[in-house]
Amino acid sequence: MPNLLTYYHNVKSSCLFYLEKYPRFINWIFSPILILSAAFITNGIVILLCGYNPIEAYIAAVVLTFGSFSGISETLVKGTPYLMTGLSVAIAFRCGIWNIGAEGQFLMGALAASFIGTKLATVLPNTSWIVIPLSFFVAIFAGGIWGVVPAILKITRGVNEVISTIMFNYIAIYFVSLMIDGGPLQETSKTGPQSDPIVLWARLPHILEPHRIHFGIVIAVILAAVLTYVLFRTTYGFQLRAVGEGAAAAEAAGISIPQNTLRVFCISGALAALGGAIELMALAPRLTHNFSPGYGYTAIAVALLAKLHPLLTIASALLFGALAEGSFAMESEVGISRQVTWMMQAIILLFVIGFGSISLFQKQSRVNLSVN
Amino acid sequence: METDNILQLQNVTKKFGDLVAVDNINFELKSSEIHAILGENGAGKSTLMNLIYGLYQPTSGNISISGIPTRLKSPKDAIAHGIGMVHQHFMLIENLTVAENIALTVAQFSSRKSPSPDSTDEKTQNLSKFRYKKDEAIQITDALSHKFNLDVDPNALIRTLSVGLKQRVEILKALAVDARILILDEPTAVLSPQEVTSFFSILRLLQADNRSIIFISHKMKEVLEVSDRITVLRNGKKVYQGKTGELSTRELAKEMIGEEISEIERKVTEATEELVLHISGLKVKGNRNEIAVSDITLKAYRGEIVGIAGVDGNGQRELAEAIMGLRTSVAGQIEILGRKPIGTKHIRQCGVGYIPEDRRSTGIITTFSVTENLMLNASQIENIAKWGIIDQKKRYKMASSLIETYDIRPPIADIAASTLSGGNQQKIVLAREISPQPELLIAVNPTRGLDINAAQYVHLNLLAQRTLKKSVLLISTELDEVLQLSDRLYVMSKGKLIDATKYRDDIETLGLFMTGETDTVA
Repeated sequence: MPNLLTYYHNVKSSCLFYLEKYPRFINWIFSPILILSAAFITNGIVILLCGYNPIEAYIAAVVLTFGSFSGISETLVKGTPYLMTGLSVAIAFRCGIWNIGAEGQFLMGALAASFIGTKLATVLPNTSWIVIPLSFFVAIFAGGIWGVVPAILKITRGVNEVISTIMFNYIAIYFVSLMIDGGPLQETSKTGPQSDPIVLWARLPHILEPHRIHFGIVIAVILAAVLTYVLFRTTYGFQLRAVGEGAAAAEAAGISIPQNTLRVFCISGALAALGGAIELMALAPRLTHNFSPGYGYTAIAVALLAKLHPLLTIASALLFGALAEGSFAMESEVGISRQVTWMMQAIILLFVIGFGSISLFQKQSRVNLSVN
Repeated sequence: METDNILQLQNVTKKFGDLVAVDNINFELKSSEIHAILGENGAGKSTLMNLIYGLYQPTSGNISISGIPTRLKSPKDAIAHGIGMVHQHFMLIENLTVAENIALTVAQFSSRKSPSPDSTDEKTQNLSKFRYKKDEAIQITDALSHKFNLDVDPNALIRTLSVGLKQRVEILKALAVDARILILDEPTAVLSPQEVTSFFSILRLLQADNRSIIFISHKMKEVLEVSDRITVLRNGKKVYQGKTGELSTRELAKEMIGEEISEIERKVTEATEELVLHISGLKVKGNRNEIAVSDITLKAYRGEIVGIAGVDGNGQRELAEAIMGLRTSVAGQIEILGRKPIGTKHIRQCGVGYIPEDRRSTGIITTFSVTENLMLNASQIENIAKWGIIDQKKRYKMASSLIETYDIRPPIADIAASTLSGGNQQKIVLAREISPQPELLIAVNPTRGLDINAAQYVHLNLLAQRTLKKSVLLISTELDEVLQLSDRLYVMSKGKLIDATKYRDDIETLGLFMTGETDTVA
């Protein structure tokens, strides 16, 4: 017993030592872990209340998600749209722009890619090297426009971007609906509300058939790295962060806030739109009503969990990919209904958003500040 | 234990980690005395006050109120024990009337633990927590205002009041909850000389009403004028306590900084004929769409410091922002070296540096590192970057040389600016704005909140600009500072500039100018 006590005290004092020595680092590592544990415990209770065994469900989820290459491949595949939209949100929030419009920008990108892939590509047979870059380009352009309009409204009329981007989401959602349900992009047979599948040479190749893991993932990860470099190593990134963290000081330094607002909205819109194009071109050959299960909204949680850091967004997006794959596993293996697994994902999101911005050891850092 | 000590601190120590902010201090406040506390920034003044006001709890030592050892767990606790604080930044609700602000305060703290025999307390009990009784609130406010000659209209909206009157409302708030001990944090910083005089007479009335006052100030002259006793703190320790008048200004300053300070010598040099800044007929609107700067004409030549004195909120901020392109002007022209640049970046490229008034929000970005703050100048950042990519070596060299030249402490390039003291944050701003050797430097309240040493450092830097034949526009509420540094002197009042160069030895007249009483002089 005394041994155990001394052991406890040793652990406690060494913990405190590291806490004092590396408070930020420890905070950085542990606060996400703590938040997620709390979320999983709460979800365990939900599973229990629905009449299933939470341990069985979690085991199924873990085994199916991480137990095989196909599970890992699926995690990566499902994480990619989260990564692209997450990067879009992260870069905007870094600049203090509350772009809630990733959903609409994502859809507009997919719409653009589906237009190229079903219409224009038919006149350019077997020319992947033209059609794929062209799809990307048009998607980026469409997403850029979907970002530029709220930016201009904000700069010239002072319209709050939260409102305008949400409205633009509605416009995008119903515009896509219109296009595929009786509109020019509806499938040629006119049976359902969906587009034709995009032609084979407009599709992004998979890396390892039969697994779905595709080159879009590579693009997304490279973009995350590039954005990190831009944010922390270039004058553009510096100005962008300056506007986000201290608009008044940035303005006094001669950094143009309208210019940065416009720039960041373009980049943010383009990233989300490219995500939509990748998703369509790599996986779903058809554009449908439920093409996006709210990627653009979930992206806010993805970005916040990553503390708006592009590289961490990779990890955060993979976590969301794993959650999606895990939900699928719980549904197919344990029989937990889809509604429950969606509920569980929402609970995790609530925990992340509710506590993600609060630092675990904030009290300590506040004291440190006040001394100085 | 002496009974006339209303407040007593025994061997009070406050540590933050390894840092000892308040070191074994004994301090007693006698009943109905005005006790001044002097000390540089970081000497432990604010920590000590926060201990008395219940924001911090001492690491060791005791605090006794009226001879009874007391633990103050929160400001609410302190207020319940009759301790009131008037902060440097007012805690008033701008869109409510004076009486409504008073009623809110009283409602919050109506459950007094030790009601004093004073009659105001009984009356304030009537102000319920749930219902606003307008007539009673006005009556109480009026009564208190008359008693202490505060001359505040209970029905006036806070936002319509001058800074001096707002301060009186803060004092009213403390009196409404019957504070026996008043802590005043740099109360005269925002007042004109005339307002200071009437403020001191209010302090004397409070003293006569058997209330004790702790008065924190940088201004030696005022401390000597109004206080009964003085305590000097240095590095968290009490280095001097005694009756006012025992030590001279010079000796007190020596106690404060531990060494004698040398007066700045100001060499007289002739300004050249070359015009750097030429403002004509400038009109600028303020945040509430009022005319903040009306029809100003101003010239600044090479090799001179032009000083603009004045009480806060008379258009100085708007003038500086208009020159920097941060605020659009309604009419008039601003020429810099014969050019009319548009936009802050272009203005900076013409060779203008800017030390803004609000250091923490406009001068630096607190979450950025020291290096990043040193880079925060759109016209200079290209020097360390190529094709938009920041050269890490150049960046490191730039930061380390500036940190060394301007003695920024701690000398760590990558720590967040928020962890630096106010003086060192200001050094970052100075380093960034002065090192490119601007043709024109706009400095607004460059020494606000700085201790003597840091302020002198700023002054020397401004004078060095003048020696380099550059031009400096010094806008400051500290009259002494403007008098000491400037070659030509203006007073800004209600958006207008008054040429006051010939009155520089006539403080009385300058004071009248500052309060807007121009007619009596002219």
